Amino acid sequence: MQTTLAAVRLAGLAVTTGPLVRDFVAEGLAAGQDAAALERVARTVGLRRRLVAAPGQTALDLCADAAARLLAATPEAAGRLDAVIFVTQTPDHAQPNNANLLHGRLRLARTVAAYDVSLGCSGWVHGLQQAALLCAHGGARAVLLCAGDTLSRATNPRDRATDPLFGDAGAATLVVRDDTAGPWCFVLGADGSRARVIEVPAGGARAPRGPGPWVERADAEGNVRHPGDLHMDGAEVFNFTLREVPAAIAEVMALAGWTEPDVDALVMHQANRFVLSSVGRKCGFPAAKTPMDLVERFGNQSSASIPCALAESLGAELRSRPTRIVACGFGVGLSWGAVAFTAGPLTILPTVPLPLSP
Amino acid sequence: MNTAEEQRWSALRADVDALAAAPAGLDTVLGQLPQWDSLAVLLVITHAEQTYGRALTGAQVRACRTGRDLVALLS
Repeated sequence: MQTTLAAVRLAGLAVTTGPLVRDFVAEGLAAGQDAAALERVARTVGLRRRLVAAPGQTALDLCADAAARLLAATPEAAGRLDAVIFVTQTPDHAQPNNANLLHGRLRLARTVAAYDVSLGCSGWVHGLQQAALLCAHGGARAVLLCAGDTLSRATNPRDRATDPLFGDAGAATLVVRDDTAGPWCFVLGADGSRARVIEVPAGGARAPRGPGPWVERADAEGNVRHPGDLHMDGAEVFNFTLREVPAAIAEVMALAGWTEPDVDALVMHQANRFVLSSVGRKCGFPAAKTPMDLVERFGNQSSASIPCALAESLGAELRSRPTRIVACGFGVGLSWGAVAFTAGPLTILPTVPLPLSP
Repeated sequence: MNTAEEQRWSALRADVDALAAAPAGLDTVLGQLPQWDSLAVLLVITHAEQTYGRALTGAQVRACRTGRDLVALLS
């Protein structure tokens, strides 16, 4: 679907990461893997360092930290908050949802609406569309969008194809009503026929966890997982990305009436360097306009990766001047979302790790 | 080996490190190459898309037993 929304402005961004450092090459060497093979994957895919949550820390904790910092730094907008949207695939509980738990933790007024959006790597763009929709047409003066996951815990440590990919982070984004701002253009899409390309097969209502332990199995390449582990078919995800992402980016740019020279930066979900360089090349964007080094510093941060890339790669521009951004998220569902919008100047807080509990 | 097959094989080896790193030929069994893994499959898919505009599935690539099978898939 296409959506164009006027009278919305991005007021602030903050990202909180997990505090624990994981090093792909060092851990592989310690496990006795071949140095050249590790370096090959590190160089091609961009797997170096990732930051993950500590035991007991959840996406709610990460986002609550980012949200509290952001609201404290933007008191005027915070005082006009009318809704909280929480995008996650790793909520604290099946019920209640994370948005309501965050609402309570932040001691928000009872007039502030709260709901979750169940999406992963495409979720920040979907959440941004929801937030903008509430501001443009829903009577909201300001909306807090939280997006984050702890996918590093969703994988099996013996699944070498999936386990080294993920970092944990929570992002808070503040969207406000501003009659002088906008428009923002969105393209959202889905392909449910391939929903099982990224999946956690069991643990929900369809296949509840039984009384016994999960049974692990090895696939043809020797990667081990059980039905409660996150599994991705890397080749099919890559094919999906190559097909849908460039098309969504072209569509949203056409909707905005922009061509490549009009755009200051193309910010894609920071899946991995291999995917980003392939898609960036297909989109016809120069590498200088396409941040793709975030995954080497943080890992794949799911729905928090686009706001993290905005803060880390474009922070100076966004703090100081209007910047034309095209962003695209893609992942579980399969789903994708692209947005073309002008942002800045806005409040961007330093990206910080969540402190370990004393 | 015919010229077209040679050219396709040569171009494929230039893009797929698992095929370039070893003295691989058309009759090499892919599963015996040390770097023939999920990353190599992605590199073949990328090569097919960029060179021929063709979308291959991971299953199609993984089903190839030899280099010749890969070239046939691209042809």
